[in-house]
Amino acid sequence: MPAWLIPLTLGASALLAVVLGVRAQLTRSREGKILAFLALLILPIAAAGLGFSEHLERAQSRAFCLSCHVMEGYGKSLLIDDPSYIPARHYQNNLVPRDRACYTCHTTYTLFGGMHAKIRGLRHLYVQYLGTVPKPEEIKLYEPYNNRECLSCHLGARKFEEASGHHKSADLLGRIKSNRLSCISSGCHEFIHDVGSLGQANLWKESK
Amino acid sequence: MTEESPKIEERIRWAGFLVGAGLAIQGVTLIASHPLAFVAFLGIGVPITAAGVVLYLWSLVSGGNR
Repeated sequence: MPAWLIPLTLGASALLAVVLGVRAQLTRSREGKILAFLALLILPIAAAGLGFSEHLERAQSRAFCLSCHVMEGYGKSLLIDDPSYIPARHYQNNLVPRDRACYTCHTTYTLFGGMHAKIRGLRHLYVQYLGTVPKPEEIKLYEPYNNRECLSCHLGARKFEEASGHHKSADLLGRIKSNRLSCISSGCHEFIHDVGSLGQANLWKESK
Repeated sequence: MTEESPKIEERIRWAGFLVGAGLAIQGVTLIASHPLAFVAFLGIGVPITAAGVVLYLWSLVSGGNR
């Protein structure tokens, strides 16, 4: 559905409801009753559902995640001109959708992963506006990054399965796949956002 | 068909205004793609709309007698 159609639906439904509010006597006729049923029950529920779905969609965008000042450095870290930085490499090479770069890696690929991410988002909002905002470099994940999130894309890919680095020992690939050895362990893909040292980093200029 | 009492129309009138206001607020929150807009949608727009819908349903079941 085109994005412009949602505000239009909300606006038209609101207008119809207000018309019924002003002219409540319309509901004396059978047609008026049907109109009231549509305007005060069916349309509001449908329009609110569309609006909710649109907000959920927007909540997955990079602009949404980076709209809080504290996240600015994390957005900037996607432009570090060094392929050893995993988020930057993924972002700059379109290995994740650019407009959903944050959500793609930071949602949990489980049944209720998206819902948990939203609940955590509410907590972030509380901290942003009512709590004490930490320094960007002090922000930590709630739990160690699970390889499941990486494997949701990489598992089965030839480049991943056959990479020499993943076969340094006989059981290495098995330990990665079972999350016993983290992908971001020291000596593996250890460079992540590293917002503390962004000042010295060269940044890639994204073409528009 | 019997004529409804003004009481039922009064409830429908309020339901119309509440639903209209709630949907208008929901529409306004769609202007911005910001976490606060999402919270305003869920915390203000949806409850006002829901109150209007509930008032409308109440007007139907009460039949204007209460």
